[in-house]
Amino acid sequence: MTDTDKTALVQVAGFPLALDRMYEGRTHMWVARVGTGDPSIARIGLDSVGVETNGTLAQLSLPEVGEQLTVGRPFGQLEAAKFVGPLVSPVSGTVVARNEAAAADPGLTERDPYGDGWLIEVALTDFGAWLDGLTGEPDEIVAWFEAEISDYRMKGVIAQ
Amino acid sequence: MPDVLRVIDFGRVTPLRSQTCWHAVAYGVSAGAPPTLSFARPSDPYVCLGYHRDLSEVDLGYCAARGLPVYRRMVGGGPVYCDEGQLFFQICLPAALVPASRVEALRVLLRPAVEAFRAAGVRAELDADGEIVCGEAKICGHGAGQIEDAVVVCGNLIESFDHTRATRVLALDGDEQRSQTLDLMRRYVMATPADAGTFKSAMAAAYARALGCAAQPGRLTRSERTTMAGLDARFSSQRWLAGPGTPARPAARQVKVRAGVWTFAASHGRSAVVASVVGGRVERAHLRAPGLNGRAAAAARALSGRALPEVAGVLAGFGAPGAELAAAFATADGRRIA
Repeated sequence: MTDTDKTALVQVAGFPLALDRMYEGRTHMWVARVGTGDPSIARIGLDSVGVETNGTLAQLSLPEVGEQLTVGRPFGQLEAAKFVGPLVSPVSGTVVARNEAAAADPGLTERDPYGDGWLIEVALTDFGAWLDGLTGEPDEIVAWFEAEISDYRMKGVIAQ
Repeated sequence: MPDVLRVIDFGRVTPLRSQTCWHAVAYGVSAGAPPTLSFARPSDPYVCLGYHRDLSEVDLGYCAARGLPVYRRMVGGGPVYCDEGQLFFQICLPAALVPASRVEALRVLLRPAVEAFRAAGVRAELDADGEIVCGEAKICGHGAGQIEDAVVVCGNLIESFDHTRATRVLALDGDEQRSQTLDLMRRYVMATPADAGTFKSAMAAAYARALGCAAQPGRLTRSERTTMAGLDARFSSQRWLAGPGTPARPAARQVKVRAGVWTFAASHGRSAVVASVVGGRVERAHLRAPGLNGRAAAAARALSGRALPEVAGVLAGFGAPGAELAAAFATADGRRIA
């Protein structure tokens, strides 16, 4: 992982993808190191396909600083297309920052999902174990992302 | 594939129970109860607010004076007026059986309802915006959400609809916005007085078919009844009614009537606008800008039929007052009204 402020994006089947971070496949959440500081602090956000398949984001509810997160459990709510659903945490830890700009304008997450549209920052509980279940190798990330887009296109969820 | 679709008809229930009964079902399904289709008809009118919406969108003074309770639901959408002319339905499934994409999930879960409307004699369609419509008018108000590990999609068979009251319960900017909203409401929200019994039977058959299982009448479990009692208390509390915190709130006062159809009221400096937007174009605008010196009506006519991105260009022809009005227009964002 590298600094999220210097994100380099590649285009995969028409969707931007950042290869400098890790991904949780089912939820399309990404996890990235914040700057060059404390390696146990991670930033979390939604990838571009996660954004696309939610529909227009109307509302975001994010947790308060200090709240405890558990991997696989909800840490907030997202409303799109009149559907309120959980944002599921890809890691365990404690919330150390929330993106107030994205909470005030969820469109920011649509416009810049890998940059200014991040959601929260977390102090990881177990730095050694948190990579479990995440995809981090660039080749694997691209292959997974392509397969997801292909699947969604076959189902008509996203346009060809 | 599930073994059975549980069908619970709660019948005519209090406004509070018309909400808490199906929320209790969602917690039950999350805990292992079978997929469930439920129906409820409120005994009295009330107002129901989507999970994220700001309480200030409801005219609480009017509601209190008329004895209309206000409840916050756990699914999405805006503030809506509910009464016994509406038969509400909810389909609730374990989240694992529902597509992860919200757009896809809504389509999959609303399609059987469209079949049921048709079976009950209503020429319903699921449009490109994911609304159940008949022609251009919405005939079913829907909302959806994930409650723990269950997904629930709600909707209604609108047998009769009080457009005036549905508009009156909203906190709007004034008479002009109320008038424009009521006009759009009358054109784009339509009652389809089908036979409720036929509709319910068709719903059970359509959802059972979609799930590949048999529909079976059922009732709440003991655990779900306990949950419902707890939800009664939660939904009646001021804390719950206040909402989850700091939702995104646009500067303009906006009301969505159906997808792509909305009104807004906004101001900038000493200028103000109230407008109706249909399909991304200004249908009608009421402008107030002291510097226009009698040209407000001409500016409003010039805006009629224009796409929102063209508005600033049109108003540029009206000098500084036009620029102020353009700034007011810029605060409206219909894409983000759930």
